[in-house]
Amino acid sequence: MSSLFSPEIRQKIEHYLQRYETRRSAILPILHCIQDEYGWVKEEHVLALEEHYQLPRVQVEEVLTFYSMYRQQEPKQFRLMLCDNLVCTMMGYKEVDSAIRGHLQEYQHKGKDCPFSLEKVPCLGVCDGAPAMLINKTRHLNLDANNVVAILKNCDTLATGT
Amino acid sequence: MSKQVSFTLDGQEVTVPQGWTVMQAARQEKVAIPHFCWHPGLKVAGVCRFCLVHVEGARKLEISCNLVVQPGMVVSTLRDEVKQAHKWALEFHLLNHPLDCPICDQAGECGLQDYYMEVGLYQSQMTRPKVLKPKALDVGSELVLDTERCILCSKCVRFEDEVTKTGALGIFARGDRSIIGTYHGQKITHQYQENLVDICPVGAFTSRRFRFKQRVWFLKEKSSICPGCSTGCAIKVHGKPEMRRYFRVKPEEDQSVNGHWLCDKGRMTLEHLNPEARLMQAARWQAAQQAWEFSPQTAPFIRELAQEIARLAPQDIALLVSAQYTNEEYAEFFDYFVKQRGITQVYQWREPSEARDDFDGLLLRGDHNANTRGLMAALKQVGIKAKIGDQLEKCVAAKPQLVIALSPEISFTAPSLPEQLAQLNSLARVSLWTTHFSASQWTQLWQLLPLRGFAEKIGTVTNYQGKTRVLKEAFPPVASEVLAISQIIAGLHKEL
Amino acid sequence: MEKPKIVTRFAGLADSRSLDTYLRHDGYQALHKALAMKPAELIELVKASGLRGRGGAGFPTGLKWSFVPKDAPEKYLLCNNDEGEPGTFKDRYILELSPHMLVEGMIISAYAIGAQKAYIYTRCEFYEEIAWMEQAIHEAYRHGYLGANILGSKFSFDLDHYGGAGAYICGEETGLISSLEGKKGQPKLKPPFPALSGYLNKPTVVNNTETLAVIPWIVQHGPEKYRAIGTEKSPGTKLFCISGPVKRPGVYELPLGYPLQKFIEDDAGGLRDGKTLKAVIPGGASAPVLTADEVAKVTLDYESMANAKTMLGSGAVIVIPEGQSMVELLKVTVDFFHHESCGQCTPCREGTGWLSNVMHGIYQRKAKLKDVEKMIAIANNMEGRTICALSDACAMPTRAIATKFGDEIRSYIQRGNHG
Repeated sequence: MSSLFSPEIRQKIEHYLQRYETRRSAILPILHCIQDEYGWVKEEHVLALEEHYQLPRVQVEEVLTFYSMYRQQEPKQFRLMLCDNLVCTMMGYKEVDSAIRGHLQEYQHKGKDCPFSLEKVPCLGVCDGAPAMLINKTRHLNLDANNVVAILKNCDTLATGT
Repeated sequence: MSKQVSFTLDGQEVTVPQGWTVMQAARQEKVAIPHFCWHPGLKVAGVCRFCLVHVEGARKLEISCNLVVQPGMVVSTLRDEVKQAHKWALEFHLLNHPLDCPICDQAGECGLQDYYMEVGLYQSQMTRPKVLKPKALDVGSELVLDTERCILCSKCVRFEDEVTKTGALGIFARGDRSIIGTYHGQKITHQYQENLVDICPVGAFTSRRFRFKQRVWFLKEKSSICPGCSTGCAIKVHGKPEMRRYFRVKPEEDQSVNGHWLCDKGRMTLEHLNPEARLMQAARWQAAQQAWEFSPQTAPFIRELAQEIARLAPQDIALLVSAQYTNEEYAEFFDYFVKQRGITQVYQWREPSEARDDFDGLLLRGDHNANTRGLMAALKQVGIKAKIGDQLEKCVAAKPQLVIALSPEISFTAPSLPEQLAQLNSLARVSLWTTHFSASQWTQLWQLLPLRGFAEKIGTVTNYQGKTRVLKEAFPPVASEVLAISQIIAGLHKEL
Repeated sequence: MEKPKIVTRFAGLADSRSLDTYLRHDGYQALHKALAMKPAELIELVKASGLRGRGGAGFPTGLKWSFVPKDAPEKYLLCNNDEGEPGTFKDRYILELSPHMLVEGMIISAYAIGAQKAYIYTRCEFYEEIAWMEQAIHEAYRHGYLGANILGSKFSFDLDHYGGAGAYICGEETGLISSLEGKKGQPKLKPPFPALSGYLNKPTVVNNTETLAVIPWIVQHGPEKYRAIGTEKSPGTKLFCISGPVKRPGVYELPLGYPLQKFIEDDAGGLRDGKTLKAVIPGGASAPVLTADEVAKVTLDYESMANAKTMLGSGAVIVIPEGQSMVELLKVTVDFFHHESCGQCTPCREGTGWLSNVMHGIYQRKAKLKDVEKMIAIANNMEGRTICALSDACAMPTRAIATKFGDEIRSYIQRGNHG
């Protein structure tokens, strides 16, 4: 059995393969589970899923590349998923976006490693709290140029551990 | 007989079996409905949205590929709204297509080009930059993939899933970023790669063998039967007679045998048709020079053979026959040599290593001879009882003075051929009748007589099922000195 | 106008998500009642209530259930909790309020159609809500509402959760089925329809979260009482999500037929910061926009919206203030559908990209006046030409904005062309 996955992950994979009517249905939950553990899904994970669990690589890759929440690149510590949809746009997404970019550029200026990646995501289903953003799995609502920087600074503290 | 359903298609009453779609009915009636993703040998995908038709009483236009014929249905492919919808469907398809027709092999048989001539908007509205994608990918020994030309019809994906069941292709990502491909460029390895080229409606998959060789509109095509194995797939050979060259072999639809498909081995039979692989003139081995002497005159060779036959008693002559000739050729050959000349030593010539009962589950059979059953029937006809199997050893053991041999035409079916020839030659004079010639591998045979290739003759073969398969059309032979078996026999007849 | 509380009856209760709270407020009483009925009677009951699908299309729920073959040995019920329509957040609210309401509704609905297994398909971004829902499922199993021989009856039923991975198209019922099957969330060609051949080619009903969540109330109080609310053709209440610059954005339960303007002004408190109303998108991003004048004339029900050539959709009311650029909103809209098109059908795959491209040209003022007409032509030829409604969902708002706010767009372009 593959040493690529930890025993806990292997157990989860086995669980998902049994849980649904077909093994194929396990592809989405398994990819979530791998991403939760490793931060992203690597080529070697896909190949291991085929080799050890008979999930065809083409089927897995199709799923992996179709859904926008899966990552195929090594992640930063904080994945900023900022909604750029209708309501957030009207409620000040652009200001929040510039504030985030400004904050991220400071790392460049200081030559520091940036712990953030920023991506635009479609509506997060929290338009009553627009503008909204997910940071990893945590929701942040009613953002503006000021409070978003405070949130990012808070993350910085976590990142540097100071 | 299944239940029939009648409906109206463009004003004509049409009757089809129950359960047929409008697309199937239209195909039967030769009503052209434009389509990209539909293929009669694959499941319906309904994604190109090109085959829209008008159905009386329907709220919107329907795709004919997924529209099951209902009794009394009134369908039109001709109304203005249908024509307009087709124009737009094509426009959407062209949006991200590179329009690189001048360097595309598909030009001349491209769905996009064909339909553009028929239904195109002509004043294209496209001004946007196109989505760029990988080109000229090596995804298999027979294949080159240009993902930019792909219109995402998914036929190739379905072929991999449904026909070869290899699942090697996928459409990755989504929306207009969707991209056809194998997993990280992995190679497709099965024996049916060129079918992907056939079904690709554009120039996304092109044939490595055919790539940049020839513009398709210069080619003539003739219906024949694949000589690669005992399945006997219906094929079309594409060639340029004025150049005396052949360019490709493609499947011809035949639901009773090969459906829509042909294996890559079958397509490789092409290599045996072109001059490089052919015996173009009669030849004899010149021991002094240790070289072949070729001659444009075949008559002296036939005369020499006739003299040899006359010199020897029939029991000193053996016939060695491969199972790759037509029923008509066998009939003539055996009628002359067995019935008229009284030769009784008749041996089958087969590849000793053949795994005759192998089958790849789709088309390709381990019996790589197109006419095993025909040969056996012809032998029986002249009173020779034998089981299928190579009899070269037996022929050698009988120590004939002269062997008249019908050589296997397709070299991949006979890997032992050079050794077999050497073995024969050590024992007897051999008159080898052959299409194929290999200067590097063949030596010392008494004489070689050049025969027509499979694309150059009309006739029948009998496939593994006992079905008669017809080689319907013939190209002129690659050289005027190339003979039909009947011509050689007529020559012998005259001499003797 | 009276505002009966059906889904929102748990609002304001302490610990509203817990089983205890649910049981204290008649929770799982409808299930007892339903299991004493025949499945066919339940279907009739739901038909009689006039309940229509709350996901967006408004198809009569009882009728949808009746399409499922009675004698099929294996059937599935799927809850569409993918909630991806921009502007919509009502199903999230149900999970936040009382996930047991959904669980009970699913058990009853499964019993009615004869499904032994159901899944709740939820977009994965609802991390907290998924945990609450899983908690409710867990509690329901522990108390015998789920599993073998529910409440001592012969009915056995399993309920599981399945998480999406970021694809709007999985909110389309057959896209959802594909996704649940572990594939790309591409909608399936119809026919066959899911009621006959859905999940794993078995008969399948896909219902929206809100639809399923009101089933217990309807069963418990009877279809007449539900029918008495709302309008003749749009009975009952519905959850409406209001967002944009209003004083009190959020989820509101309103009887169908409620005036839109009243909703904006009274319930949501009107626009804030002294803004005035420019337009409203009444049913999520795919619904054609209404101008301020039109807003005053419509009520929140399927018919009134259809008459105004828009739709009630998911009930997502997006309020647009004066001063908001429609060019910007249309760009955001087409970009969204371009991003979310599954890529299967050519007119949608290419059309959404084309619109997005033209729209970006307009936004950057690198466009011609006739590009507005071009967008309408593209939209017209995307609509009704594809397997699912995503193409229409992009075409309809595009055409509406390009038509109703064509002058604004043209003058925007001209300002660019003349410096």
